[in-house]
Amino acid sequence: MSERQARRGGGRDSKRAARQVSQTKQAAFIERRIPYFELLDEASLALIEDNADTLLEEIGIDFRDDPEALSLLKAGGADIQGERVRFPRGLCRSIIQATAPKEFIQHARNPERSTVIGGRRMVLAPAYGSPFVRDLDKGRRYASIEDFRNFVKLAYMSPGLHHSGGTVCEPVDLPVNKRHFDMIYSHLKYSDKPFMGSVTHHSRAQDTVDMAKIVFGEAFATNNCVTTSLINANSPMTYDDTMLGALKVYARNMQATVISPFILSGAMSPVTVVGTATQILAEALAGMAFAQLVRPGAPVVFGTFSSAVSMQSGAPTFGGPEPSLVMYTVAALARRLGVPFRSGGGLCASKLADAQAAYEAANTLQTAALAGVNFMLHTAGWLEGGLVMGYEKFMMDVDQANMLSVLLGGVDMSENGQALEAFREVGPGKHFLGAAHTQRNFETAFYRSTLADNNSFEQWTEEGGQDMAQRANTQWKRVLADYELPPMDPAIDEALLEFIAKRKADFPDKDY
Amino acid sequence: MAEDYDDDELILAELDDEELVAQMHDDLYDGLKDEIVEGVNILLERGWGADKVLTEALVEGMRIVGVDFRDGILFVPEVLLAANAMKGGMAILRPLLAETGAKPIGKMVIGTVKGDIHDIGKNLVTMMMEGAGFEVIDLGINNSVDDYLNALEEHKPDILGMSALLTTTMPYMKVVIDALVEKGIREDYIVLVGGAPLNEEFGKAVGADAYCRDAASASSTGVAMVQQRQAA
Ligand code: B12
Repeated sequence: MSERQARRGGGRDSKRAARQVSQTKQAAFIERRIPYFELLDEASLALIEDNADTLLEEIGIDFRDDPEALSLLKAGGADIQGERVRFPRGLCRSIIQATAPKEFIQHARNPERSTVIGGRRMVLAPAYGSPFVRDLDKGRRYASIEDFRNFVKLAYMSPGLHHSGGTVCEPVDLPVNKRHFDMIYSHLKYSDKPFMGSVTHHSRAQDTVDMAKIVFGEAFATNNCVTTSLINANSPMTYDDTMLGALKVYARNMQATVISPFILSGAMSPVTVVGTATQILAEALAGMAFAQLVRPGAPVVFGTFSSAVSMQSGAPTFGGPEPSLVMYTVAALARRLGVPFRSGGGLCASKLADAQAAYEAANTLQTAALAGVNFMLHTAGWLEGGLVMGYEKFMMDVDQANMLSVLLGGVDMSENGQALEAFREVGPGKHFLGAAHTQRNFETAFYRSTLADNNSFEQWTEEGGQDMAQRANTQWKRVLADYELPPMDPAIDEALLEFIAKRKADFPDKDY
Repeated sequence: MAEDYDDDELILAELDDEELVAQMHDDLYDGLKDEIVEGVNILLERGWGADKVLTEALVEGMRIVGVDFRDGILFVPEVLLAANAMKGGMAILRPLLAETGAKPIGKMVIGTVKGDIHDIGKNLVTMMMEGAGFEVIDLGINNSVDDYLNALEEHKPDILGMSALLTTTMPYMKVVIDALVEKGIREDYIVLVGGAPLNEEFGKAVGADAYCRDAASASSTGVAMVQQRQAA
């Protein structure tokens, strides 16, 4: 018997393996190659800027319960009456434009995952803040630290997401004053993508910075951005001491803050698009200028999250056309100011990963891509107005996120893209499936959804007649089963755990 | 307010009782405060008792408002006006009710708990409670145990309402309720709690009398619980 020849490779096994994974490649961000969707002309944008200046000059912004903030603002040239801060026309803009970076690198512990926020780039992060989670098996329930870790792992395993996010869900099973340790540790340990810090107390922001220093090294983390955090304005026209406290810690440590007027239009801003955009601009200007006064050059992102309230009940609504009009408008205002812009997300009010969830989310995701969002929080998982993080919804949104990178990639105008060769080869009345041009391009020519079912009715029936949520259920379980821990220097891990243990012992558990 | 009702000619005092009450139901529905105040005064001048004005003209009118709010016919800004008109009427009736010893509809102290600035939901609850005829003392946002205790001491309400939207502030409700227990005054008040991240189970766990999912159920629960107490 002759010795068996070594096989050539290829064949079934390798192709099955290659074709069953997402075709989306892990990237640090999406590079935009299409124009921005510009909704308003120059005169209209200038008018909004002028009105925002009027708002800042005449009505002003409250900075509450933070005397230090007031003295910094006063020294910066603002007029202070009690806690009301009024800004001379153009002051905030000039402070921001003097020192705030147009774009910045947020470093990840894996340098390949370090991302750039700003310019012609889009960075996608999972949803943030929900107290509940939901999946098809166990329904709706308060989130736990196990859920938190699961979502960090799912985001790590999703090539279309560039960022690990922050409070991917709220681990309600841990004491309020200590859960941030476990959240930050989870991001650092179970993922190697960039992450967001804690903002619910200034000391928790400081803990975030200290833990980042352990991972990135004291010197590096002091001069480079290694965490980005979410600072909400308390609209209308108010910043509170909790958010200001966290902002100051991050800015002083050269870490990025996303200064976000989060508006439920109708309750928290006037009902009109221009009124809302004006207020968003004024509030963001005040917040970002404040950050520059705390530490010139600290990275800031102009954030906004605008939705409407139902005039029939007061409940937040999502995916409607007016918030899209606001987002296009504010994106243009942020570009004119020259700072990165955050908005969008897979937003919806639906309770389930159903048609309402999918189309409300799709409306906002597409708008965000066209508008020119640089940093998109809430990309994946959002249900019920942010009250619930959904496992199945997460996978559905990730599929949509992957599509955005193709859309933003624009149109290939190369010789290959023009495809004249294919016309020459095939000619009239035949088909293109076997053409050399097709053979060369087919694999990446079209986005393949990781969840959509396009098979025949009969095949779909044989495979269990599943809807998208059921397929997503299978998928997230498979992804978690395939998850592998990214490597981490054991000395760093040990140092982190030691820091946490020591800090946790510093003060008693408290549930508020 | 876009409805066109033809009120140039209408002189309330010329309507008979039945027509006037029906008109007041419409005026509450349309949020016409001055007209409600006038209507209340006319009925009182005609010798109606304050409690009869309250139940037949005002409470019944606001019941209709409540139904149409629930059904999505009336919008929040309209219900705000209606509640404001109701408040105008109640301001006249309240002292009279107290004089006659009639049971007032009730009083409520409400505020968001320490650390929580989410107040849209609390404001809607205030609106609906005022619409139901309650006197509401709104403590605003960010209230400590002492803020609540002082307000209870000062205003002696029937209901204490606490609102929280953050999982990090919700547990503070228990701190407040525990303080009431400790002072031996827990049973003096009906405690209602609300906010989107809460649920029935959480309400029970912190020792509240009820969790209410929205402003409409807050007012129906509040009214029912106060009546139950007054009957007991
Ligand atoms: C609007 C909003 C804000 C606004 C609040 C503006 C304001 N003036 O209220 C702003 C932007 C300021 C804000 C800030 C923050 N928010 Co916020 N916010 C919301 C949002 C989207 C809607 C809340 C709302 O107004 N709903 C509409 C009203 C009508 O509904 P409601 O409040 O539930 O009230 C009804 C019922 O619950 C009930 N009810 C309410 N109170 C009471 C009281 C009683 C006595 C009774 C009987 C009934 C009752 O009746 C009401 C009327 O029907 C929720 C998400 C959500 N879908 O709920 C997040 C949410 C609550 N926020 C959240 C977070 C995390 C924050 C921030 C910490 C974010 C940040 N990093 O900056 C900050 C906290 C600031 C602070 N110091 O407290 C999380 C909280 C979850 C958690 N992890 O604990 C949520 C769930 C969103 C999310 N996924 O992030 N937020």
